[in-house]
Amino acid sequence: MKKIPIIVTLFILVITAIFITSCATTNELAAAKSGAQLWGENCLRCHNTPSPETFSDTEWDVAVLHMRVRANLTEDEAVKIAEFLKTAN
Amino acid sequence: MKKLFKQSLLPLFLWQCIMMSAQVGQDTNLQVQSTLDIQMAQLPTATTNDWKPGKSRFLLRGYAHAGLEMTEDETSFVWGQLAPLLIFRQSDRLLFEAELEVELEGEDVHLGLEYGNLSYLISSVLTFRAGKILVPFGTFVPNLHPAWINKFPTMPLGAGHDGILPGADIGVELRGAAFLGSVKTNYSFYALNGPQLNDGNLEAAEGGVLHYDITPDNNKNKVIGGRIGFFPMSNSALEVGFSGMYGKVGDQDSRYEDVSAFLYAVDMSYVRNLPGISSVLDIKAQYTGANVEEAEFPEPDEPGEFHSFTNNSQAWFVQASIRPAFVENAFMQNLELAGRYSSLKTPEGAPWEVDQKQWDIGLNYWLDWRTVFKFAYRKISGTAGEHGGEETGLGDAFFIHWAIGF
Repeated sequence: MKKIPIIVTLFILVITAIFITSCATTNELAAAKSGAQLWGENCLRCHNTPSPETFSDTEWDVAVLHMRVRANLTEDEAVKIAEFLKTAN
Repeated sequence: MKKLFKQSLLPLFLWQCIMMSAQVGQDTNLQVQSTLDIQMAQLPTATTNDWKPGKSRFLLRGYAHAGLEMTEDETSFVWGQLAPLLIFRQSDRLLFEAELEVELEGEDVHLGLEYGNLSYLISSVLTFRAGKILVPFGTFVPNLHPAWINKFPTMPLGAGHDGILPGADIGVELRGAAFLGSVKTNYSFYALNGPQLNDGNLEAAEGGVLHYDITPDNNKNKVIGGRIGFFPMSNSALEVGFSGMYGKVGDQDSRYEDVSAFLYAVDMSYVRNLPGISSVLDIKAQYTGANVEEAEFPEPDEPGEFHSFTNNSQAWFVQASIRPAFVENAFMQNLELAGRYSSLKTPEGAPWEVDQKQWDIGLNYWLDWRTVFKFAYRKISGTAGEHGGEETGLGDAFFIHWAIGF
């Protein structure tokens, strides 16, 4: 009986995962935003916008993947921001 | 004779086999070498000096801070914290991160693990995390607490290691971001060990307090919770988040094993450029409630006696900062003015009862996007219970701190 809460918890997490996967990854308005615009909107929410010159291209790949998880960026946002930073550095 | 003939033929036969095997091996090696030569010739020409990064990459980041603190009783240079962040990108989908915390405690150096977890990107909208994570509860702890991000040298009331806000915990989490129609959302759902209820047996004055970030777990129950954030504006300037956490917090097989706690929070963030005054406005706010099921705890001053109280706590803060980042004057554009008001109210009748307010006013100067000098004044007012009044660090104080993110 004591294992029921853990099973219920895992069940809820799986159902949630299935539901979330059915959500849209982007919409038309978001898709039209540039990497520079997304860099300004998302980074500035918590800290100053990072200078593109801070890291090399390969380092930005790591930093952006880290921030995609940490800041809950969408895949589209992360890809565009990384492209912008690697172009402008 | 026949036997002798066989004995002499046997070594000859073995020698012939060895020679044939060597010949076959030599032929095979020649064939492999030839195939490799053909494949190498087909590869695009490259110089050996080219640096080609692999998919597995490591990055060392983190932050540090220190400064000068002036209270009514003393003026002291203080070491804040060194927090190296190790990020290892195993592949396009797999990431490991761990943040250490190096602090001075008297003459000793304290080394701790702030968090350390593995993230796997399941799909474009869902990431699985496991390990020790910063609990996605509200906005301050998971997003704003690093010294180079925090606008002040201090934390709002209720946050920190002795606060009512969850810090880090061990468990599993699903998180991500997606669009619900035209509204961007982000979300995280988790199952963690959860906070632990202090039963007051060792320290009666702390009976009823929730402690966070303690291992191993004190029961078989896991807390479940999550946070959902909404961005109602198309430019993502405004974010409103709702957090909740529920689970049993008492020790297994004790009189408190069925005591549960429900924590909730509402947070908001509003950041936008103000072209009229060439500045960036940043507003953050969070309200947190922690409701623990009522139980009896040892009376601090009367051994053997028990008392109870409604174990509900609340903490909230609102902060605003403005930085003229787009003015022409280079000195002015690096200045930032910040103010914060925070409040903490713990249960009335508890030995650890407090009802406090804190003002923080600060002026920051940014050397670059992640290095800042902070000049701040803090004022705390309010009342504390008989034992809560023993807490140190209360009162007015002036801070000069530097913080660097790297």
